[in-house]
Amino acid sequence: MSDDVEGDTGDPEGHTADRRHLVGEYFRLERWEIPPLPGVDAPSELGGRAPVDAHQRGSGGGLRAGGLLTCLDSMGGFLCGLAVLPEWIVTTSMMATISQLDHRGPLRLHGRVLRRGRNSAVARVDVFDEGRVGLPVAAATITCAVLDPGDMVREFERPYRTPMAPLRPGAPAPEEFFCIESGVGPVTRLELAGHLRNPWGILHGGAVAMLADVAACRAAQAGPARAKTTGSVAAADTVLHYLRPARVGPVEARCQVVGHRNGRAVVRLAIHDVGAGDRLVTLGSVAVLDV
Amino acid sequence: MTLGGYPSDRHILGDLGMVAEVSSESEARLRTQVTPHITGADGGVRAGVLATLVDIVGGAIAARALQPDWMATADLALQVVRPAIGPWVEARGAVVRQGRTTLVIEALVFEVTDDGSDLDAATGDPSPVAWASMTFAVLEARNPASPIQMATEFPIRWEFAGDGLDRSIVDAVDLSVVDAAGGRVSLPVREYVLNSFGAVQGGVMALVAEVAGAEALEAAQGSDGASVVVTDLQVVYLALGRQGPIVTTATVLDAGSRGRRSAVVELVDEGGAGRLATVVNIGATVVDMPAPATS
Repeated sequence: MSDDVEGDTGDPEGHTADRRHLVGEYFRLERWEIPPLPGVDAPSELGGRAPVDAHQRGSGGGLRAGGLLTCLDSMGGFLCGLAVLPEWIVTTSMMATISQLDHRGPLRLHGRVLRRGRNSAVARVDVFDEGRVGLPVAAATITCAVLDPGDMVREFERPYRTPMAPLRPGAPAPEEFFCIESGVGPVTRLELAGHLRNPWGILHGGAVAMLADVAACRAAQAGPARAKTTGSVAAADTVLHYLRPARVGPVEARCQVVGHRNGRAVVRLAIHDVGAGDRLVTLGSVAVLDV
Repeated sequence: MTLGGYPSDRHILGDLGMVAEVSSESEARLRTQVTPHITGADGGVRAGVLATLVDIVGGAIAARALQPDWMATADLALQVVRPAIGPWVEARGAVVRQGRTTLVIEALVFEVTDDGSDLDAATGDPSPVAWASMTFAVLEARNPASPIQMATEFPIRWEFAGDGLDRSIVDAVDLSVVDAAGGRVSLPVREYVLNSFGAVQGGVMALVAEVAGAEALEAAQGSDGASVVVTDLQVVYLALGRQGPIVTTATVLDAGSRGRRSAVVELVDEGGAGRLATVVNIGATVVDMPAPATS
């Protein structure tokens, strides 16, 4: 499910999340709406910019895939949301190809709506590395389902703009921030803390993406067919189907290495909400590269 | 099997000789024989053909699960982990989630023998050659009392019978390269490649993107004796391609760092007011081609 509806950030049990800790701000993603030209009937586009902070870099050298996917989800989800106002959206799937793992940063993002339908909307987001003369970093398509927002207030000053959040001294590494338990092997667990919930009160799509990144890398490193036993790995191309909301937790990613080819493992992952009858909440795959 | 005359007598699904089995309300399998006409530079079945296989198996499951409603493929992802050399390849799909407006299906692709047995059954752990997932959008039935009758006893088996391919599948669908560096290829829309909506079949759109992406990536890397093999397809279907020709453009994201290549291909229905029909993210690797023999 997507995040990034502004406003109420509490969870269904009435916990108040500290805005300084919200997922959307952890990666300090700046966003600005690019309205269509006057007289043109088209959805707005969205610009974005994210620094690549040292504590968020992965073994590929740049922003780790989970962070990149969180930014993509934020951009695509918000774009689709703007396109369907006064209704709102949840992300149902994200497909991302990541072409560069080593970013100097900051990263520049650009999103546009590809399709706006009655039940769904699709956005495409491209990412470039400003520090490497605009080298393409990733491209993604994000599909969202249109929902009645109910009591959730969706009021924005238009054109919409979110400034880049300041860097917090001593900000934790992604595994700590996202409450991902340490470990090795094919199963990785996340505690569903209050600050990881989105405004719908469910686990933030970015948190799911970071769990997928960490879990897939651990599974690939533990796999019996792993060719390179001493090197590091990094997550890259990712497909996620957000099937159901994760509301209770803990949330567990169960991985299976489908196969290896040319220094690349394909990991299938099924993410379950253990506390909600162990129901399957997300299905996907992650390509894990030797780096 | 035909559905109101679909597919036609001369159709790509028939020429691929697909053999289907729906084993329950939520599971099905579909296989096709591996021939040189459907393989790529690495000797394995082309990703676009595997995408066709998983799209059809997903459609078979979805049609059953959603009746009397109908469906259209909204997105499809495929990751190939090793060359699928056969003798047959079989996609095995199952419903992951059925909602009010969408249905998600997961599929794994295996190599099987002529009789459909697992190729490496002796090990008891057949390893897949590809993983795939699809989302189908539910289309509400205009006439809930649909005249389409579905069998109620499992398994249900059928074949798409045809003459078989006598040339490369790329040639069979009349795909032509307009500008390799720009990833521009062109596909005429004719009955041979249509789905039951009268638009280009989703797997064929993936095949078109595969060819376009590979052309652009090969052009970008220059002539170094290596051939690009597409291993990953992330396809999002935006509109039906009905008029044609279907024309592509490709944007190369990465032409070779870490041995991986990637590109984004857009497919436009040129005769349909230039409407953007499909967007495909491509991942690829390279294989060295043998040097030409000299006398």
